[in-house]
Amino acid sequence: MLTFITRRLLFLPVVLIGVTLMIFVAMSFLTPAQLVSAYIKSPEELKNQSVSELVVKYGLDQPIWVRYINWMKNVLKGDLGYSVSANMHVTEAIAKRFPATLELAIFAVIPVIFGGIWLGTVSAKNHNQPLDHASRIFAIVGWSLPDFVFGLIILLIFYGLAGWFPPGRLSVWADNIILSGDFVQYTGMNTIDALLNGRFDIFLDALRHLVAPTITLAYLWWAYILRITRSSMLDVLNKDYVRTARAKGLMERLVINRHVRRNAMIPVVTVVGSMILGLLSGVVIVETVFDYKGIGLLIAKGAQQMDYTLVLGTSLFYGVLLVLTNLVVDVLYAVIDPRVRLE
Amino acid sequence: MVLKKLIRNPISLIGLIILLGFILVAILAPVIAPLPEDVLARNPNADPYRIPRYGFASTPTPPSKEHPMGLTEGQLDIFYGIVWGTRTAFKVGLTVISISCLIGIIIGSVSAYIGGKFDEIVMRFVDIFMSFPFLIAAIVITTILGRGLENVMLAMILFRWTGYARLIRGNVLQVKQDEYVMAARAAGVSHIVILIRHILPNTIFPVIIQASMNMGSIVVTAASLSFLGLGAPEGYADWGQMISYARNWILGAPGNPLAYWYTVVYPGLAIILFVLSWNLIGDAFRDIMDPKLQG
Repeated sequence: MLTFITRRLLFLPVVLIGVTLMIFVAMSFLTPAQLVSAYIKSPEELKNQSVSELVVKYGLDQPIWVRYINWMKNVLKGDLGYSVSANMHVTEAIAKRFPATLELAIFAVIPVIFGGIWLGTVSAKNHNQPLDHASRIFAIVGWSLPDFVFGLIILLIFYGLAGWFPPGRLSVWADNIILSGDFVQYTGMNTIDALLNGRFDIFLDALRHLVAPTITLAYLWWAYILRITRSSMLDVLNKDYVRTARAKGLMERLVINRHVRRNAMIPVVTVVGSMILGLLSGVVIVETVFDYKGIGLLIAKGAQQMDYTLVLGTSLFYGVLLVLTNLVVDVLYAVIDPRVRLE
Repeated sequence: MVLKKLIRNPISLIGLIILLGFILVAILAPVIAPLPEDVLARNPNADPYRIPRYGFASTPTPPSKEHPMGLTEGQLDIFYGIVWGTRTAFKVGLTVISISCLIGIIIGSVSAYIGGKFDEIVMRFVDIFMSFPFLIAAIVITTILGRGLENVMLAMILFRWTGYARLIRGNVLQVKQDEYVMAARAAGVSHIVILIRHILPNTIFPVIIQASMNMGSIVVTAASLSFLGLGAPEGYADWGQMISYARNWILGAPGNPLAYWYTVVYPGLAIILFVLSWNLIGDAFRDIMDPKLQG
């Protein structure tokens, strides 16, 4: 177990350097003049100095390896440059927007995991019966609905027609309260902050804005987890120890819950890593559709305005975040499945 | 044999029929939706992928006899866009799959055949590529290289080959120690010939099938980038772009939330059916390949 984790930890810096190299290589396709904004500390610098002066000042005329080391020094200090489109430092913009995305992702993960696993179990228990076929068709259709089409349909039905779930993060009145001095933003996640401030009305308003993007973000992975749980459950149902459990007269519910599901969860855990990857990509589309001001909308808007600094900085953040979550998932996997540790 | 099973299964049969429909539409696009004569009169070499415009008003126009699916934002003909968008979809999907599959097969099989340290390094490299969310990578590349379908395809190829490389590597590792490979080596056959003549024919097909089943997801990714305004240029026949035109009109007019339904329903339906057909076939395919799941 310990060697497994140590090996993963030793490999971590290699992957992280790989990710930074990838972003840096992408950067090197830009001309020094385009790159200047990634280095300046404030917009005033562009007013007071010419671009060519800045190129020399930040060593953009140096050989590539010198530039990489200089750039890495800045990155390690948390300096990702100044974003023209967001009108603030990239690090600041990420810090401001990330809690919103995290909140959305957390809300999406809960129905995905519980709903998907439950439906998958039901489907496997009723193998090849109408319920199984229905869930299969639901999964295929779900898997085939592109998120931007599905999101627009949800927006049309639940906002355009019914008027229930508006886009954005908060209504104007709630936004005004949050921005006023009386409301303390502990986490940046509106639902939690609202509860901590004892404002139940704001909590409900935040929740109302979260429903539609959560459904859009979740349904695709719901279908996926359902399918994986189903096939993995079917796999385990044929195992000898399940037959033994049944033969000794155990109640069917106990057989499913104790013997089958626990073992069937192992393949499901492996996809959690790619699910997090998918959710974090998904937010780009979902936040754009629902005008939800998180990190996904930040990068999408930045890309539309050709704000290289913002796009590169945010994607570096993304890369590092994913490497770290993958590490956590791998370790969790080893905890659940003893066979992995012995490899 | 596999095809027979696919036809016998009602789910995959529906998929095959829808797919056939799309293939026909793509092939017959110049017949189904020819460029209007006045456009051709002005410029005989006009690009058919440019959707013809019928005016300059931004508000969409509802379906009529001349324009069966209506005109979307900027008075672009929706029917024309969907028909030629089918060609765009196949063009993007086939290009990305064939090139990334080729790169993946070459790198993956050579890496597995050589083995040892080399293989280890290549696979760590693949790991790093795979740890990056694909859509974000595509956004980075299109931001740097500029908007355009070519750049979208390039971005997808750059980040798709890794999956195929990993797949073929596993297959090659399995057959590498087989007797017929050993025999060929003992007979003094060169490494390249062994790889091409003896190993690849036995390992390549699952990878190619897997790759073609990715058609749906590749087309969706390309469409998402167009939806974000990073893919196809303005007015290009592309489903994702047509949905992005619909975005501003999705909430309809005051008092009539469904006023502009046609701007999103038709292009949305086209892309959903396209992906659905591939997924129906793919799902049945997996069951055929994996007899354990058959009931």
